[in-house]
Amino acid sequence: MADTTPTSKAFWEGLTPSVSSGLASVAEAGRAALDRLPVPTRRSERWKYSPLTAMLAQPLNSPEAPHGIPEDVHVQPIPGLDAYRVVLVNGHVVTEACDFPVAEGVICMPLFQALDEGRLQGGDADWSGYHEREWVGALHAAHAQDGVYLELEEGVTLDRPLLVHHHVTGSNVAACPRHRIVMGDQSSAEVVVWHSSSSEATGMVNALLEGHVGRGARLGLDKVQNEQGKIFHLAHEHVTQASDSTFRVHSMTVQGHWVRNELNVAQKGRGAHTVMHGVYLPKDQEHVDNHTTMDHTVPNCTSSELYKGILYDRSTGVFNGKVFVRQEAQQTNAYQQNANIVADQGASINAKPELEIYADDVKCSHGCTVGQFDDEALFYLKSRGIGERAARALMVQAFIGDVLAGMGSEEVAAEVETLLSERHGWM
Amino acid sequence: MLTIKNLHAQVDQTAILKGLDLEIAPGEVHAIMGPNGSGKSTLASVLAGREDYEVTQGSVDFDGSDLLDMDASDRAREGLFLAFQYPVEIPGVSNLNFMKAAINAQREHRGMEAISAKDFLALVKEKSALVELAGRLRDRSVNEGFSGGEKKRNEIFQMAMLEPKLAILDETDSGLDIDALRIVSQGVNAMREAGRSFLVITHYQRLLDHIVPDHVHVLSDGKIVKSGTKDLAMELEEKGYDWIKEPAV
Repeated sequence: MADTTPTSKAFWEGLTPSVSSGLASVAEAGRAALDRLPVPTRRSERWKYSPLTAMLAQPLNSPEAPHGIPEDVHVQPIPGLDAYRVVLVNGHVVTEACDFPVAEGVICMPLFQALDEGRLQGGDADWSGYHEREWVGALHAAHAQDGVYLELEEGVTLDRPLLVHHHVTGSNVAACPRHRIVMGDQSSAEVVVWHSSSSEATGMVNALLEGHVGRGARLGLDKVQNEQGKIFHLAHEHVTQASDSTFRVHSMTVQGHWVRNELNVAQKGRGAHTVMHGVYLPKDQEHVDNHTTMDHTVPNCTSSELYKGILYDRSTGVFNGKVFVRQEAQQTNAYQQNANIVADQGASINAKPELEIYADDVKCSHGCTVGQFDDEALFYLKSRGIGERAARALMVQAFIGDVLAGMGSEEVAAEVETLLSERHGWM
Repeated sequence: MLTIKNLHAQVDQTAILKGLDLEIAPGEVHAIMGPNGSGKSTLASVLAGREDYEVTQGSVDFDGSDLLDMDASDRAREGLFLAFQYPVEIPGVSNLNFMKAAINAQREHRGMEAISAKDFLALVKEKSALVELAGRLRDRSVNEGFSGGEKKRNEIFQMAMLEPKLAILDETDSGLDIDALRIVSQGVNAMREAGRSFLVITHYQRLLDHIVPDHVHVLSDGKIVKSGTKDLAMELEEKGYDWIKEPAV
């Protein structure tokens, strides 16, 4: 039953329809789906703990592209990181602030330009079908904005990481950035996706990233959410992997008023390996939801999933980790672990591992824990002269240290740790 | 160094220490013995500042300061050390980072600069040799996967690193085989000096063969009921505790 209550219609009617002719059919399908699909509420299982009611209460608008580089954008958000750079503000590429890689076998440009050049034609304009099955995806598609297009040809290695920095500024902003990464066979790249906002910003980020990792190729993705305003952040990453490829993603939520991450990875070729790690440390009344899907469709693949959360104050968290092992996918080795510390009485986490295994010769392990800080360990640290705050910081760093250590870029990991220290007063 | 007067303490409304008096002068080694449930470990916990323990009466003066007025970390910074009966495993915190944080917290408290990497490593090398703590144990997470004996040696290593004024050893001999007992005792004896005092809490006399005390006290039902020299420990080993408990009633 379609739920097109006046509230939800009013919510998106002020938004600018997607302007790229290359995305016209996707946007059209998105608009049709918006009329057809129900708005996610508590009644739907996938949105039970993250209803969109609060977001829908305030109609949004699509700000114009900024002239020049807005003052509140830090063009170098990560100290010491030597990277190519694409800067977006409210879903618009800010060309003046960009430093696209230019090299043989590297094609990197704004997504709209790639569409205009006919690099993504017909069915290639959308891989995930997100807009056909999800209301949030339909909302994105109908208003899809610009983003990054990165393509590496066979055997090419990107010599420096690519930093994709998206910044939100203004009130009741709707930003719908859209990215595409195409890794040719045996190619290799590290990408950093950094989300920030000014502290007064309000609105929604509805971001889509589609990627394909070719045979024997390697893609590393460090994603950091550090939005200081009152932003509802809806992220969807959809990645497919060919044989013997590696895809690693770290989803680090440093700060966000309301965050829903959906990460879907499908292995389509033998010998593929996937790493999905993440950390979330919400405080106050923040909300962080990580929904992941690991789809093993072929034999001899591996996956390692590790999400760790510490929930402070009255914050809420959700972890839902789906792992499919299809009937064909013999000799799969899948690992999933979700560990949570509920640091304060008012905080809560809803954690749900969901394994669906149809093959019989597989190794799958999963674990999920919810606990408190270990008072005995805290006392032990304090009994050696370490103060309460420093002791807690040591324990937090110990808890999330293994996730941080696995990130692609040391500079990004260090900045995440610094931001967390400042935010939680560990220093 | 330490003056305890009429100390009363309870846990969950149950009185455990019931008027304990004890005086330890600088450089002295005192042993506290006593049957199970007499309050030995409670005394160690109260002195180290464990929060579940409530002091209801009495005072503790530590080198001129009111010990009970300080939290656990301040007590350590002032020079108190507790070797735990059950050392805690802390996965993810490396033993060396832990020691560095502790040393620097104490140095900062004394208005000193943070220790240099070079000095720190030299210190680690010197002190770990004292308790024969191999490199692989030093470099691992705090106590994680350590055997019982390794954990106790790690306690003494930490004590040697932090050079406290007063060290409390809470049943450090429990769970130790003969070799580990010898190593731990050697570590303690190497640290004995005029300005440093020890309070050795133990069940058995055998530890006191290695760490020879100046005074031995018997704790029973939350009070010290008998004090003497090291000969008292021998007597206890022979006769048990019953002969002491009775006249105290």
